[in-house]
Amino acid sequence: MNWIAQRRRQSRFEQVALPHLDAAYSLARWLTRNDADASDVVQEAYLRAFRYFDSYREGDAKSWLLRIVRRTCYSWLARNRPTELIALDAIDDPTGVNAAGSAQANMGDTETLLMNRSDLRRLDELIEALPPPLREVIVLRELQELGYREIADVTGVPIGTVMSRLHRARTALRRGWDGENIE
Amino acid sequence: MMQCSDARPRLEAHLDNELDEAERAALDDHIASCADCAPEALALERLRDDIRASASAYRAPAALRSQIRAALRRDASGAPAIARGPGWLAVAASIMIAVALGSGGTWLISGDRQRDAIADEVIDSHLRSLLAEHLTDVASSDKHTVKPWFGGRTELSPPGINLAAEGFPLVGGRLDLIDGKPVPALVYRAGKHIINVFVLPAGHGDHPETVHRQGYTLRHWNEGDLGYWAVSDASPDEFSRFEHAFRAAAS
Repeated sequence: MNWIAQRRRQSRFEQVALPHLDAAYSLARWLTRNDADASDVVQEAYLRAFRYFDSYREGDAKSWLLRIVRRTCYSWLARNRPTELIALDAIDDPTGVNAAGSAQANMGDTETLLMNRSDLRRLDELIEALPPPLREVIVLRELQELGYREIADVTGVPIGTVMSRLHRARTALRRGWDGENIE
Repeated sequence: MMQCSDARPRLEAHLDNELDEAERAALDDHIASCADCAPEALALERLRDDIRASASAYRAPAALRSQIRAALRRDASGAPAIARGPGWLAVAASIMIAVALGSGGTWLISGDRQRDAIADEVIDSHLRSLLAEHLTDVASSDKHTVKPWFGGRTELSPPGINLAAEGFPLVGGRLDLIDGKPVPALVYRAGKHIINVFVLPAGHGDHPETVHRQGYTLRHWNEGDLGYWAVSDASPDEFSRFEHAFRAAAS
């Protein structure tokens, strides 16, 4: 490709992808839980998206981009915070001993947090304490206000799985949040 | 009438606006009359409202956008920039001049909006060239090297001018996109400052004007069928000397 065409391609890509920069950053920030890491991951994701841009067809640019951002986040987590990645099987197995165990461990964390905190970050910390596959559906649904179809698209799982993960995430959050508010 | 066993699994889909109209109405009726499901629906709604009200709505830092554009540009060019300035680049203040040729009708925008949009793009391209350390695509102080380099890469032919004798040596040339079209930029040095000269198709009947934006001064004038745009954070004196020297050589 001559490089006038490359510049044009870059210009087209920027028009498609840059409007969703805040959404991309928000997802990466929630998954990495750190400002600098979120910026690094988002930049890497944009470069990846740019390289895949030829495979992008007119359509939902936000879902397309967030899918790449999410994948980049998970690669980053696998490299830098492997312990945070609980096997997805365990997350989605409703009767799984592993899932119960992890949820229990996580609620242990949130209870400790709640004992010591009464500031505005409380809800942030409850969300951050969720395992990434539950955290991301809450962020995509409540903060990005995506529908089930779009969330399924971004996370690459069936809609039924989106619904069950949302339910599990909300149940965990309510155990921490409602309990605190009632007291 | 819907039973609790049917209602409960649908409460969250209802909250998330994922039910069709008939289901929604049936569920609303049930919630209104059920002492168990009503508080459950309310608790879900409250959790959603609390999350939206108090969970952090992170926004991308202002610098991230330009960092990404710079990284994309490096990636698109496929190779490191040909010329990397020594230390002077880091301390360089800058002047950017865009030269416009008269064929405004073929461009996407016209009139004042065109001027504003081009001013924005020119400043943006200028910042990008500094941030990405992608100042030149062809590095040469020889106008006989720089001018032909643009041949075939753009319809626009910039004047080949080296102003070394006047204190503004030619650094090289670069191609940028302004208004979606490839546009040549000539790069000069003025002491510690960088000067970029762009060639664009001109707008119609523009008078010389000066715009201040983002800490840069942008200077725009026409000459013959060329229109010139200049952006600078250099001193007004130096800016003006460069403009005089450039116009004298270009005419």
